[in-house]
Amino acid sequence: MRRAVTALAVLAALVIPTATAHADDDKPEIQRMRFVESGAQLTFSTDPTTVPPGGIGKLFDTTAYEALSTGIPSTVVIRIQIAPRDSDTPVAEQLIQRSVVYDVWDEIYTLRLDQPGGRKTIKVKYRAEALKWLTALDDVPVARLDVVPIDQVFVLKMVVELNPVSKQTLTEVRRWLSQGNGGGLDRGGAFFGSFVSVFYNPKIADADRVLRIRSQPFYRPAP
Amino acid sequence: MFALVAVVAARSAGAHGAPPDGADPDSPVPEPAPQVPDDPTVDPGAPGAGAALDDPGEPDEPLHEDTEFGPVIQIEAINVTGNTATQTEIIRRALPIGPGDTLHSSDRRLRDARFKVLALGYFRDVTLSVRKGSQRGQVIVEVHVAERGTLVLNRLWFGTALSPWWLGADVGERNLLGLGVSVGGGVIFAHHTDLPDARDQYAMELRISVPSVGGSEWSAGGAATLVHGSEPYRVSGMSQRSFPYRRFGARFGATYDVSALTRLAMGMRVESISATLPVAPTRELADGRVVAVDLHLDPGVSRVVTASLAFDRDTRADPILPHAGGRLQVSAELGSALLGGNYDFATIFGRYEHYWPLFGERHALSIKLGGGVVVGDAPLFDRIHIADVDHMLTPRALGLVLSTAAPLAILGTRGDKPNYGDLGGSATVEYALQLFRGAGQRRIYGADVFFGAGLWGLAERPDLRSRDAGLVAALPIDLFGDAGVRFDTDIGTFELTIANALGRLR
Repeated sequence: MRRAVTALAVLAALVIPTATAHADDDKPEIQRMRFVESGAQLTFSTDPTTVPPGGIGKLFDTTAYEALSTGIPSTVVIRIQIAPRDSDTPVAEQLIQRSVVYDVWDEIYTLRLDQPGGRKTIKVKYRAEALKWLTALDDVPVARLDVVPIDQVFVLKMVVELNPVSKQTLTEVRRWLSQGNGGGLDRGGAFFGSFVSVFYNPKIADADRVLRIRSQPFYRPAP
Repeated sequence: MFALVAVVAARSAGAHGAPPDGADPDSPVPEPAPQVPDDPTVDPGAPGAGAALDDPGEPDEPLHEDTEFGPVIQIEAINVTGNTATQTEIIRRALPIGPGDTLHSSDRRLRDARFKVLALGYFRDVTLSVRKGSQRGQVIVEVHVAERGTLVLNRLWFGTALSPWWLGADVGERNLLGLGVSVGGGVIFAHHTDLPDARDQYAMELRISVPSVGGSEWSAGGAATLVHGSEPYRVSGMSQRSFPYRRFGARFGATYDVSALTRLAMGMRVESISATLPVAPTRELADGRVVAVDLHLDPGVSRVVTASLAFDRDTRADPILPHAGGRLQVSAELGSALLGGNYDFATIFGRYEHYWPLFGERHALSIKLGGGVVVGDAPLFDRIHIADVDHMLTPRALGLVLSTAAPLAILGTRGDKPNYGDLGGSATVEYALQLFRGAGQRRIYGADVFFGAGLWGLAERPDLRSRDAGLVAALPIDLFGDAGVRFDTDIGTFELTIANALGRLR
């Protein structure tokens, strides 16, 4: 028993620092954004001219950018929350989905933009333009002003995913991991056993790329 | 339109008074936002709008879902490249699209095709692209795969307990010669214990399965197992003896994927048991009485023939580090003289586990219920062993009992808990805490630390019919606890737990 506890303590000592390092992966990037009262709406814009550049352009590396021309659709899903600075409970949420597919015959890009204000379908000639439409965040309505009280400090939190994969698809892809060995006479292990399994185990990510972004704190000043 | 400036911006600009507490006083006033039109199809100032083409409108009828857009294409051919070992036909069969299909270029099937091929488990990456076909509107789909190693170490057995030591491994190849056929096998050796009449034990197993017969939802497989064992039985108190036996059997069956998450299985088992049983074995009870011991085996050579049916539904998004979903497994097996066996019996086993995500799926609470019932004259090895239900004991490996350690008596219920029973199971409540999750680019994808506790029980039929002690004292149940760490890595999956360590060392 003592040996088992010692082994676990050693294991914990090894694991916890690793876990702390990996936890940094989830830390959001702080970006300066511009917030504007537009009618009854609060809108925001990112700024790609800052250093480092703001916005979500870095979602596309070279591979993802070239994939826009493969004829297979690419999708960007942007989840936005406005929350009080010291709270995780949002006062407003917004979902934006933008997809693009390349027409190999007409050599044009068709984009479908689902965002506040409704769905739009547009066509552009060049891949760079398609990228702009996929990643531009300019004067995007995110909340009604009445849910953003004056003089209270808020932040905007944003999670941006490139080609997110549904949980059902992820489940299907990794299903073979839990399908057992085909079963001999060793019935007990299948129902009660624990596992140690070694193999080349590529992981299918929840999305091709994920960005977590947070704005600087902001507030609505009294008129 | 009023500019709603960042808190710091308001201070710098001297507009609208002082910012609330906590504002960053050094931030600059933001630049004016680039102008993006509300309706990009009509505003010439929008990015890219100058090159935007007129939208000719969507096709009249969506073919599969209302979010489809883009041109309608017809698949002229599908080219598969990059596969050096895996047969092309196996990849083609996995695709949800085929030559002749007409669909929108944004069709879900095109998007899912990559994952259908990845789900075979033979590739580390799959990319798809589309190029022009021979006629306008026709396209050729290019599927490029990057193969991966498919050798799997399924299980390792090692440890030392009352049996001085044991060692074994189970390995498999999931894509034999690129045919999509899975083969595997395991071997284990256990040095003999100090029990009277004990001998060295070994067992081996060979398996083969075809995960998809002819590209259908059916799969087929078989396994052959040889066990050269030495089975302990109790003669008084904790004192035990052993008797030798030999099992040789084969199991073959088929499964049908009702859906991506639900599977039905059916099978047959034929097994020969050769046991040298002690003459009139007896056991001395704590009160001095001597009773006959039923070893649940026919002396000499006997035969077990069974038919089985099983159901499996697994909705866990991540089977290695689950934080949501659940899994239900139920199996029933019937052995009968009508099938040619010497034992008439039936078993029903089930396992249910469910995970509730907490705190945004960073934590998870789960329950795990597992157990079964054995009815009739079941052979010893088909009964429920105590290590099947008490997670703090060494589990059986390829049918071998590796340790004769007694379970920890935590509740103070009856001390002479049976080694085998007709009714048994366990109930576990477990709390898992996410240590970290990677995005799939690091070598360690994720890890959880978990704490669990539960109740296990194992009873023989006589225990249920009569007892000579108080209810609590007579109940063959007890507690178990466990804690440990689970890793999901690019070289496999690992679970390191206190209970597992106890099983290897006690």
